[in-house]
Amino acid sequence: MSTMKTTRDVKGVGISIPRPDGPEKVTGRVQYVADIQAKGLLHAKLLRSPHAHAKIVSIDTSAAKALPGVRAVLTAKDIPHLKKKAPTRAHAVLAIDRVVFMGQPVAAVAADEPSIAEEALDLIKVEYQVLAASIDPLKAMLPGAPPVADAGTEADTSEALAHSAVAIAKSDTPAKAVNISQQARLQRGDPAKGFAESDHILEKTYRVPMVHQGYLEPHAVLAEWDRNGLLTLWASTQGSFNTRSEVADVLGIPENSIRVIPVECGGGFGGKIRALCEPITAVLAQVTKRPVRYVMTRREELQAGMPAPQVIIKLKTGVKRDGTLMALDAETVIDSGAYSGAVLAVSAVFLGSMYKWPSFDIRGFEVLTHKPSVAAYRAPVAPQTIFAIESQMEQIARDLDLDSVEFRMRHLIQAGDPMVNGQPWQSNGAKQVLSRIAEHPHWKSRKQWVTAGTNGKRRGVGLALGGWLGGLQPTGATVRLNPDGTLAVLTGQVDIAGTNISLAQIAASAYGVDTDLVRITTGDTDVAPMTGLSAGSKTIYTVGAAVLQAAEDARRQTFEIAAAELEASVHDLELVDGKITVRGAPNKGITLATIGKKGNLYMSKTPPVLGKANPAFTQQAPGFAAQLARLELDPDTGEVTLLDFVVVQDVGKAINPMGVAGQMQGGAVQSIGMALTEGLQFDDSGRLTNPSLLDYRKLTAADLPNLETIIVEVPAPAGPFGARGVGEPPIIPAPAAIANAIQNATGARLTELPMSPERIALALVNGRH
Amino acid sequence: MAKQILHCTVNGEAVEVLVQPYVNLLDALRENLGLTGPKEGCGTGDCGACTVHVDGKVVASCLMLAMQARGRKVRTIEGLASADTTLHPLQEAFVRHGVPQCGFCIPGVLMAATALLEENPRPSEEEIRYGIAGNLCRCTGYTAMVAAISEAAGTIASQRSAR
Repeated sequence: MSTMKTTRDVKGVGISIPRPDGPEKVTGRVQYVADIQAKGLLHAKLLRSPHAHAKIVSIDTSAAKALPGVRAVLTAKDIPHLKKKAPTRAHAVLAIDRVVFMGQPVAAVAADEPSIAEEALDLIKVEYQVLAASIDPLKAMLPGAPPVADAGTEADTSEALAHSAVAIAKSDTPAKAVNISQQARLQRGDPAKGFAESDHILEKTYRVPMVHQGYLEPHAVLAEWDRNGLLTLWASTQGSFNTRSEVADVLGIPENSIRVIPVECGGGFGGKIRALCEPITAVLAQVTKRPVRYVMTRREELQAGMPAPQVIIKLKTGVKRDGTLMALDAETVIDSGAYSGAVLAVSAVFLGSMYKWPSFDIRGFEVLTHKPSVAAYRAPVAPQTIFAIESQMEQIARDLDLDSVEFRMRHLIQAGDPMVNGQPWQSNGAKQVLSRIAEHPHWKSRKQWVTAGTNGKRRGVGLALGGWLGGLQPTGATVRLNPDGTLAVLTGQVDIAGTNISLAQIAASAYGVDTDLVRITTGDTDVAPMTGLSAGSKTIYTVGAAVLQAAEDARRQTFEIAAAELEASVHDLELVDGKITVRGAPNKGITLATIGKKGNLYMSKTPPVLGKANPAFTQQAPGFAAQLARLELDPDTGEVTLLDFVVVQDVGKAINPMGVAGQMQGGAVQSIGMALTEGLQFDDSGRLTNPSLLDYRKLTAADLPNLETIIVEVPAPAGPFGARGVGEPPIIPAPAAIANAIQNATGARLTELPMSPERIALALVNGRH
Repeated sequence: MAKQILHCTVNGEAVEVLVQPYVNLLDALRENLGLTGPKEGCGTGDCGACTVHVDGKVVASCLMLAMQARGRKVRTIEGLASADTTLHPLQEAFVRHGVPQCGFCIPGVLMAATALLEENPRPSEEEIRYGIAGNLCRCTGYTAMVAAISEAAGTIASQRSAR
């Protein structure tokens, strides 16, 4: 006997359901861009600059063009409409007369085989006149530093808008030096007076190098033009509509003539939002009239991808002896590489907004250098910013002998408190996640555990709190009722982490059927409703809201049809087990399949059910995470062994708890890597000295313990079923939590990432801890 | 350069393909045999996405010349499940534990895990972690992966004892 199901107890939101494409992924059948077979396919390769800054004197492509199997060799002069003052990396398709970072594309080849294309690159002769380069951002800021951008190039703030919609007043003061591309200043109260009245003043400078997002699938795209001039791009992208807009703008063609098909994306983490290799691949396909595929090598990814920026944060804090906060002075320098586009505002807002500083002066600078330009990386600049402020808070508590959780809790913001930009904090679970982690046995038992260390190893426990404001973007979704009573959901949402199953669960709960009756499709830009990026922790919050509304719309339409068929009022109807019945008269009903069929019947007068929603959003839903690290440290070698790691996160409502836990674990491990091993290392000439995964050390399974995840649910007022964004908060607190644990173990305060064994050992020697 | 004939066994079937002598096993599998399950994540043997078995041993197929597989038995992710409709217990556990996110590393991890369990049917958590330490995953943080492998080891062992 089947149990009766009502709308309330369908198998939908709140259950761990494995993603339906799991079997395709574990059998290797899922197709990524590099896996697609195309007739007559050509392979592209790019010749990249060996200098960080140089004038291009001449390029000779004749020998490369003469090589059998080579179908096209292009330089900037072969591409019409290239903007000399490229506002973004995507616009700098090929260098025009100057290269501004090592690895910048100078020429492009399409050939029958990848090996032929590679051979052709060797035959291209480029004469460079090497110029002085700006590599260190602090030196690049000084007047007289070698300039990176052509004079008059606009700053690019679109990334900031896409990610967090942080409003911040732009500074009116003109840039002092040629390489400062953006600057901002936020002030409140009288910091000078605050410092004068403080008992404890702490000045520290925190440094985080450029880090790579580290997605396993390198950038890849396949381009083909048809005879009508329609360009199709099979892209590894986090947002197909965004890719379409950028490529249209760069190539100077209408968006209507581009179709972007989002192929399975092998990881993005912010690095596959902006266009990179799509424009040049499209041009090669246009010139050769053949499908052309470009796949970056790992070396190219590391040397010339779009990593996270280098960030230097100088903090000065003033507090009273009892821990009362008095004043904050902060200066953030974000090294954006060769093109503008870093999210300057996020850093400024989080430095001063998480705790209630009565007075502050926060200055932020985006600086251009002759290095690869940057892009987003999962909560862009938040882990770096929180590393600074959460290390500082811990140090203050330690210096003043205050309980570090109570000290934070006392000054932590709540909903309604003003952020540094004056906007009020929205409802959030900052307090809840901090108190939840403080209750954890690992925290409560820390003193006994630390002193129980053996074998000369030192033990430490540390925690940190971090948050993300949550992104917003208008988006669309449709929900159709099929003739057999199943549902079809359509969005353009690129599903990387398993968001589609969660969206299907939202549709199921909102409509009133089990999730296994819902199939969700990610459509391409020709067929899907306009859909935003898979970024900014906003897929479930915004696309989920659109799917929810579209499913409610479909349910309303279904009920209206049923009401007419059953000659009853809509208000007297209920949907149970796929059948709409009149309350109190279970024998009088109509199945969803019958309604679905009527909508697809020749000569039928019943409209097909088509729910749609295309909402825009105004209310952000901040997501907070608190993390705890327990580690053992060898004082002779500086080697850290992470023994336990706990992630507590407010997700509003866990739509699919298993998927949520996966995000919490994966995000944390990325920033544990940032804390301990990762960093792009450039020498003084701008050359990357660790361009392989052997030297750019990402964490392996053997480096890590099991991660414990604790989900906290403080409902977001405007989130679907109360859900908040999940993806970004877990990458934020780890570097600070680990630095705090290292100090707990050794007394040494590490202020530069990665906290490698060398740095730790040096800190122990220098500090004589 | 003249192409050479490669005779070997791939996923239980004898194959004969013409390859350039400089082509690596990964490209031969992907381009000549259409087996795109093994992935290229780095091309330098550091990421493990291209992991296959050669004569039962784990190999980074991007570091092995195709011609070195002459006369040997190659197994890829496509040969892991016994039939199109059923999954290997490891694959089944990966699905149920929600391991795959982007999925790019998964074929390589599964091949490493299969070899581990064939050598050591009941590995400890530490042994599992070392067994897949040659495979980088950027999405999962490995926790669910380790749990799934541990559970699959139990499933395989109980299937064996039931026989």
